[in-house]
Amino acid sequence: MALAQRTGRARHRLILLTLVAMTLLTVDLRGFETARVAQGYVRDVLHPVNSLASSIFSPVGDIWNSVFQYDELEAENAALQQQLDALSGAAIQAEADNSAYRQLLESLELPYALDLETVTARVERGPVGNFASDVVTINKGHSHGLTEGMTVVTGAGLVGRVDRVDGVTSTVQLLSDPGLLVGVRLVSTNDVGLGHAVPGEPGVFIINQGPNWPQISEAELLPEIGSAVVTDADSRYTADVPIGRVIEVRPASDELSLEVLVKLANDVEDLAFVSVLITEQRAEPPLLPVVPSTSVPLDLDPDLLNDPNAGDSGGSGGEVTQ
Amino acid sequence: MSALRLGVLILLTLVVQVTVFADVRIWGIAPELLVLFAVMLGYWAGPQSGPTAAFVIGLLWDVYLPTPLGLSAIVFAMVAFAVGTGGAELFRDSKVQLAAIAAVGTFGAVTGYALLGEVMGQRGLVDLEMLRVALIAGLINALLAPLTRPLVAWALGPTFGLSGAGDIR
Repeated sequence: MALAQRTGRARHRLILLTLVAMTLLTVDLRGFETARVAQGYVRDVLHPVNSLASSIFSPVGDIWNSVFQYDELEAENAALQQQLDALSGAAIQAEADNSAYRQLLESLELPYALDLETVTARVERGPVGNFASDVVTINKGHSHGLTEGMTVVTGAGLVGRVDRVDGVTSTVQLLSDPGLLVGVRLVSTNDVGLGHAVPGEPGVFIINQGPNWPQISEAELLPEIGSAVVTDADSRYTADVPIGRVIEVRPASDELSLEVLVKLANDVEDLAFVSVLITEQRAEPPLLPVVPSTSVPLDLDPDLLNDPNAGDSGGSGGEVTQ
Repeated sequence: MSALRLGVLILLTLVVQVTVFADVRIWGIAPELLVLFAVMLGYWAGPQSGPTAAFVIGLLWDVYLPTPLGLSAIVFAMVAFAVGTGGAELFRDSKVQLAAIAAVGTFGAVTGYALLGEVMGQRGLVDLEMLRVALIAGLINALLAPLTRPLVAWALGPTFGLSGAGDIR
């Protein structure tokens, strides 16, 4: 009898906990700001404790990784040595090519790494838990001017975007997350498209959709192997940030369109420092009004009609880009 | 149950999970220390108090995870309730039994988290990798379970009849 009563009370308590959890889930899924702010406060309050624990326990992680990942480290060292040899041989060549490289940059009009304000951050830790492998936590937050959606880069190119911002830390969603769609531009053809990381293939990125995306019959529109891929100006990222280079162009599974495979410029699985580009963010890609090509928009500046050069720099202004 | 001691234990566990086990992984899997304590609290504190403590552990864990707030909390509470109810009739007299409960409880919590997460609209949680995570995390927690007993005994206090290590063979 007593046992049955206890079990009954326990069930009532479990039902109550379930209701509380369902309420929290609903509040969070509906994007209530209060829930997000409260979580941020908890993380901020615990941050000093976590930082202290990180510095105390970091030797544990280092020893563990050096003991159990020794083979990987050895292989990595060998690969790095090869790269170093190649680089020292290429140094003289690079000096000669430097001026040509600058000219190439100018000709491609890549403003990346020019006059952008950046905040450099240290990667504090990798993913926590077992179900979010494509995030890292950095040691800069709201107090350093970061906001959600900002572009995160290294010298090699795009790393990801700021996903969650607390007072002194932020979470970055990495480019290796297949769920992270990026608006890109193929430099050799000027095509724009949407791409994402390939699940199970680290370092590979696939572009398979976009407005006016080339069909399989349009061989002349194929991007060159080895040509650069950068972020598109109309994407939610800062424009012209390098993503990688084209390694393969192949038919998509529908046998009608093309898929472009890109080798990412960045190794996002091994990051120590990153830079956050402090720019205004767009939460979603803008959808421009669709204007039939034969009509004139009502709000068009009449001066533009008289200026023959007005439309040259902006591409097809009335189209929905992405 | 001493709320203060329990709070200290939960916070320490959270800090170790977030800092140490962000780097230390076994076959690529981080030990699910918070799940282990949720299961152990359900086992030792029973179906009435155990789920509440497990709920708090899950809620704190949710703060660090990208999944919605409350997902881990509800799963941890249910697993603690199941373990507490199922374990009520056991003699609790062997390490093997404790390890088996930790393994099964962890497997249930990991798969429950992934399944409920998918229902809530999170993508990519349910696949073969989920089974690998659940199996390895269950195995790790089975090995760690006997070590957690003195900590749980300290947190729960003498009213729960846990006098620290030494009762179980």
